[in-house]
Amino acid sequence: MELFFQQLVNGTSLGALYALIAVGYTVVYGIVQLINFAHGEIFMVGAFGAFATWMVLGQPTNWGPAASLMILLPLMLLGGIAVSVTVALLTERFAYRPLRNAPRLAPLITAIGVSVFLQEFVRLFYGRIPGFPDAKSAVPFPSIAGISGEIIQIGGVTIQMPAVFTIGALAISTVFLWFFVNRSKTGRAMVATSQDPDTARLMGIDVDKVIVAAFAVGAGLAALAGVAHGLSYGNIDFRMGFLAGLKAFTAAVLGGIGNINGAVVGGLVLGIVEAMATTFIPGQFGSSAWKDVWAFALLILVLVFRPQGLLGAKVVDRA
Amino acid sequence: MKALISDETKVRFRLPARVVSVVGALAVIASVFLPWAYGHEALDDVTFTGAPSPLQSFFLLLPGLVLLLLVVPFLGKQRLGRFAKAIAWNTSARTGSLATLATVVIALAAIAIELKGLINIEIGGWVAFGGALLAAVGTPLLPDSPEPTLDRVKTPKWAQIVGIVAMMAAVLFLASFALNQTDAGSFLTFGALLVGVVLVLRQLGVLGWLSIAAANNNRVLVLSAFVVAYAFPFTQNGSDANMSIASQVLIFAAAALGLNIVVGLVGLLDLGYIAFLGAGAFTAAILSESAFSTVDFHPPFLVTVLISGVVASLLGLLIGAPTLRVSGDYLAIVTLAFGEIFRITMNNLDGNDGPNLTNGSNGISGIPDLNFLGFDFGQAHTIFGVEIGRFANYYWLMLMVIALIIVVFMNLNYSRIGRGWVAIREDELAAEAMGVNTFALKLLAFAGGAFLAGVAGAVKAHHDVSVTPDQYVFLESAFLLAAVVLGGMGTVMGVLIGATILKLLPEKLRFFSEYRLLLFGLLMIVMMQFRPEGIIADERRQLEFHGEDEQLAEEIEEELITHHTHLFPERKGFVL
Amino acid sequence: MTQVISGSGHHVDATTLLLEASHVTMQFGGLTAVNDVSLNVHAGEIFGLIGPNGAGKTTFFNCLTGLYKPTSGEVRFAGEVLPPQPRLVVRAGMARTFQNIRLFHNMTALENVMVGMYSRTKTNAIDAILRLPRHRSEELASTERARELLEFVGLSSAADTLSRNLPYGDQRRLEIARALATDPKLLLLDEPTAGMNPQETRQAEELIFRIRDLGLAVLVIEHDMRFIFNLCDRVACLVRGAVLVEGQGDVVQNDPRVIEAYIGTPPSEEPISDRGPAGTDQNEGSADA
Repeated sequence: MELFFQQLVNGTSLGALYALIAVGYTVVYGIVQLINFAHGEIFMVGAFGAFATWMVLGQPTNWGPAASLMILLPLMLLGGIAVSVTVALLTERFAYRPLRNAPRLAPLITAIGVSVFLQEFVRLFYGRIPGFPDAKSAVPFPSIAGISGEIIQIGGVTIQMPAVFTIGALAISTVFLWFFVNRSKTGRAMVATSQDPDTARLMGIDVDKVIVAAFAVGAGLAALAGVAHGLSYGNIDFRMGFLAGLKAFTAAVLGGIGNINGAVVGGLVLGIVEAMATTFIPGQFGSSAWKDVWAFALLILVLVFRPQGLLGAKVVDRA
Repeated sequence: MKALISDETKVRFRLPARVVSVVGALAVIASVFLPWAYGHEALDDVTFTGAPSPLQSFFLLLPGLVLLLLVVPFLGKQRLGRFAKAIAWNTSARTGSLATLATVVIALAAIAIELKGLINIEIGGWVAFGGALLAAVGTPLLPDSPEPTLDRVKTPKWAQIVGIVAMMAAVLFLASFALNQTDAGSFLTFGALLVGVVLVLRQLGVLGWLSIAAANNNRVLVLSAFVVAYAFPFTQNGSDANMSIASQVLIFAAAALGLNIVVGLVGLLDLGYIAFLGAGAFTAAILSESAFSTVDFHPPFLVTVLISGVVASLLGLLIGAPTLRVSGDYLAIVTLAFGEIFRITMNNLDGNDGPNLTNGSNGISGIPDLNFLGFDFGQAHTIFGVEIGRFANYYWLMLMVIALIIVVFMNLNYSRIGRGWVAIREDELAAEAMGVNTFALKLLAFAGGAFLAGVAGAVKAHHDVSVTPDQYVFLESAFLLAAVVLGGMGTVMGVLIGATILKLLPEKLRFFSEYRLLLFGLLMIVMMQFRPEGIIADERRQLEFHGEDEQLAEEIEEELITHHTHLFPERKGFVL
Repeated sequence: MTQVISGSGHHVDATTLLLEASHVTMQFGGLTAVNDVSLNVHAGEIFGLIGPNGAGKTTFFNCLTGLYKPTSGEVRFAGEVLPPQPRLVVRAGMARTFQNIRLFHNMTALENVMVGMYSRTKTNAIDAILRLPRHRSEELASTERARELLEFVGLSSAADTLSRNLPYGDQRRLEIARALATDPKLLLLDEPTAGMNPQETRQAEELIFRIRDLGLAVLVIEHDMRFIFNLCDRVACLVRGAVLVEGQGDVVQNDPRVIEAYIGTPPSEEPISDRGPAGTDQNEGSADA
């Protein structure tokens, strides 16, 4: 039973990471019906942006927990968000926007191109910035006093502080998203646009602005996830966006693509399923080497039996 | 360019402009007989006076063409007769001189980089540069010529056949010359020259004429293309180095053609295509007589090929059946996930994390060479006095596989099924409402594409000798997709060209390999923005990507009607 | 197979029930778009479906043709329950056109019609790849029949025109030819004269009569009252998802409830569906006639 709760905690923290990224897929898909394959790379770029902020701050290693949590971490988060949002908006403006009326294949292929380009760009050029480490292999992520290496022990269950950070980030983001979508003007415009872009345009909604907002919100959360990943795993890698992006998309489909709450639920479910699979599937197939396979198998099963996802996707009119 | 210089200016200065351009072209031609560099290392030695190097002699081609185009009109309209209007003299000369300038610049840059400094460029190089500059300044001042009508000129059948055969011979000669350029500078310079010549020929209408000739003499075209492709190993004098590259290009092209059925004809984005190739390769490897094979069943290769194809297409059905019902968008991501599942599974079936089938990340090595009726693919054979090595044997085999894929591709495309695919691409709902079984057609393409990849993979396993999971990763799928996008979705010729470019460039340009993926990513983005239909455009694809271009629609329709090829659907495709 | 073209004068027993829709209801969330609609269409008759905008006419069509699965109710065709899948509906013998023309824009007129023949041809992948006799003979037969159908709707000179380059009125006729290519017993036309000028409307009317003369039943949705009462044997008026009146043309025409339903929006001034393909609007359609 202790093992179950331990895995529940691990799965929730992993799921929170997926959920943070999944929101970006789902928001963009809900509005422009584009699977933004490059979103995984936005997550990766966010982590590298946070790392860069730490470099610019003079690589502080000896700050106390208070200073780290109150100043260093927020600054790194802001730096990561700034980089992610900038990159996301640049790709939106120059790669996707000109293709808005093109056949579906064109933006999809562009997204693949953007994804490969961003990965390679970081790999080749991150280390060229004076003083920066080479990014051709994993880069150790700075440890933040008060989070890195700290644990909370509840009974027999160990909770890593980075996991608390990840889950907390998701919780705060969810509240923020709720207020954004339901209370802000842009958020409501977003909902309207996702339901009927033509009418929304006629009602005077600036659809371009709404799309930009969608990309920005998704990128911001992805950057949070990037930092959370760095803290949880202790290093960041130019390739990390690929698998995480794929999992996050799975989460978005699982919850019902286009549905923001669905992305959160889907992420958590996926994380927990993955954690449980490695523990409770008996025999060789329960080894952690298979956990990605189970996650993707879940994606395919969802598509077969409940293509609209757990919470229901945005209804697509057929006629 | 047109907006920069007014028509009046052009008419007023047409004579001096022509003279300046002629002088320029002559200077470039003269420069070929002068040394270009001080050092022997650059561009395979261009230091001779009076005796141009082979590469240099190709520099006669472009300015020569330009000169002809500039001088012949002096004969007067009467003497030229119908050719006066059939050829776009001035605009072609303009393209030619700009291309000349570009190639000269590339050549000089290659010299300067190789020998470290512009100082190492000899007089000939500067003369070439000056001449090219003169021509490039002069020709834009010439009045624009009307659209060429050369492609409409009625020509007898024999002339068309001669044209096709000449083209094929030129392709063979130029391809073997290009492959023999060992250093990057020469290769790039030669490539730029070829692109320049092709551009000029296109402007002249020669390419248009050739494409009509090709459409009218489909069988001659196919036959001569295969004769040329089969003859290629004979130009290599027994060297297997280029044949190794060539056979890799063909394997890559075969996979890209298979992917093109899925992406190009049906418009489904398959991002895990390499996994089907991998499935075929692993099946063939496991069934081969390799010492690392994990099963005790070693059928003859022809059976293995079929099993490989079937295994791959079963995987295709497994992935396709659930996802193709939902939406095309999901397919992209599910295939991406499938690619990962495949790689992970192949890694895990090592006897440790799962039953031993693939030896995990070590893969299966020591796959023996193929042996057909005593013809050992591992041995060199001497045919017509030329030694044909191991890779040449596989090259020939792959040609057959490619021929098979092309037949499947073309014959399906020009059939009831192909029409259904176009309808799905255009409006899936309307297609369904008109009785088209869209799900079955999509599944057919998906599983069929997987089958062909499996077949190609089976040959690849023997060609590569060993099969490991890390050969079949997502980036390879993206790479295949780039070939299809660059070459032209839905076309055979385009994808062959795209695959050749993408596979050949990194082999020949070593400095480039580090930036390979970066540039391919960029290439996909840029192509989608500016030429989504690829280098060679499928007409219908072009229309789809330029939905609002009414003029293009009119032009293409006119082309369709003049060619009349589509009116005889039974003539398209190949009869076996 | 060739009955559509050659079978003029083909006698149809007008009492045979072809389409029986009983208690069809379609709900989207809380909205009931079609409410308990029952309709019968007999072989060889022209049946009109009228009603103000948003009355649920097209939704009802979508229920009949399998695009929507009705929330409740049943649709029978020639005695059999229709499967809720568009292509199976086509196989059963029912074909439709769309209110906002949905041709395959980058295919020629001939190719469009040949796509319509998909469900009546059998060439499979092996036939096509190996170019077996079945492929050749079917391909020739389809081409010929497609040409006949184009001639039937008056588009024989436009066979090789890309459908997007066709004038608006011709696109509507091509859509009818494509639907006829599926060899239907019942043709469903969704506003076949939307955006047409009076002359084109008369031509459409004449075309529908000729289709009926071939022995087909036709179910037409229209706004244009004059058009529908000229054309139809029987008419039903749909208002807010339910059948208000059903009967002979003149009976429905003079029914006070129908007139009331239309008050404020006289039928001849109904806004025209504006969802046609790019570059085709009413004016262009008229100019090309």
